[in-house]
Amino acid sequence: MIANASKYVRNCTSGVIAFAAASAICPLNAFAEESAGISAILPHMDEFIPMLVAFIIVWIVRAKFGWPLFEGMLTKREETIKNSLEKSEEARIESERLLAEYKEQLEGAKTQSQQILANAQKSADAIEADIKVKAQAEATAMIEKAKVAIEAEKQNAIKELQASMADTSIAVASRIIGEDFSDDEHRKLIERYVKEAGSLNA
Amino acid sequence: MPSNRHVVNQTIAAYANVAIDSAEAAGGREAVVEVRNQLIQILGFMGSNIDLRLALKDEGYSAEQRADMARNVFAAFNPVLVDVMASMASRGDTDLLRRVYNLYEELIESKLGFSVVDVTTVVDLDDHLRTVITNKAQSDLGRDCVLVEHIDPSIKGGVIMSTRNRYVDASVRSQLDRARLVLKEQDGGEC
Repeated sequence: MIANASKYVRNCTSGVIAFAAASAICPLNAFAEESAGISAILPHMDEFIPMLVAFIIVWIVRAKFGWPLFEGMLTKREETIKNSLEKSEEARIESERLLAEYKEQLEGAKTQSQQILANAQKSADAIEADIKVKAQAEATAMIEKAKVAIEAEKQNAIKELQASMADTSIAVASRIIGEDFSDDEHRKLIERYVKEAGSLNA
Repeated sequence: MPSNRHVVNQTIAAYANVAIDSAEAAGGREAVVEVRNQLIQILGFMGSNIDLRLALKDEGYSAEQRADMARNVFAAFNPVLVDVMASMASRGDTDLLRRVYNLYEELIESKLGFSVVDVTTVVDLDDHLRTVITNKAQSDLGRDCVLVEHIDPSIKGGVIMSTRNRYVDASVRSQLDRARLVLKEQDGGEC
């Protein structure tokens, strides 16, 4: 279609150029004399024939020598446009391919990010569970330690109380014996102890 | 002061034998016991008085000066013991006094055939108690015994008997100490 349009333009252009050239070569006084009626708009044959011949000659010369150059320019232009269109088509195809690729990568990234999020969630859940277990174990250990410490403190307090009570009891007994015993009671105690005592030769 | 072990032992034996023989000759069993008791006093005194202990063996003084010093210091004691102390001081042997005392105690038993038993109570002994304690000591030791009585209120009651390295503590203080230990160590039970 582009080639036909180009040919049409080429012929029209050649005709116009040939007519202009013939007019320039044969500057006849076609309308030198005034005519009346229909003859006023009809060309005179003596002018028309040379002009037609000149036109044909110019047309042939243009078609033979001028047109190939012009056609070469048009062909080159056509090739350029064609190449540009092909390149733009290729670019479009490439851009569509890249777009598809990007979309695919984006989908992959989305999937990957979702996977990462899922993994992170799993890791967070695992860490949370681990922390809970550790915290529970630590709490249990602390409670056990506290129980042991409390028990030790209790035993110490009991021992201290026992010791205090023992000291007090002994002090009271000692005071009672020291103050309330008469000499005779002391002598009776001595005699009893001597009889109950172990041997000096043991 | 001699350094050879055998010489030292001979020196100690000489002092102890002189002391016991002289005491027995001077006053019999009572003097022997008196010298024994005064030896204990002198040991305690010298143990707590380092100046006297150092002075009696100080070579800066002559032997006569050290002997005179001992005689003056121990003038109130039995003359037999004063002579022995003067002799030991003049020879610089006062550090041997404890070993002399130990041998003296042995010689009382081996040479004179009786034991001296220290009896500590919170009240004075009456004759009945003396008899009871003497009989027990003689029964335990198998020889005649002489009691040396001490009053010590800190034992709270009862009696402590000792002779040389043998010791029986039947005092109220030790009974109370044992009771205190038992009370402290027994399980308090669940509260």
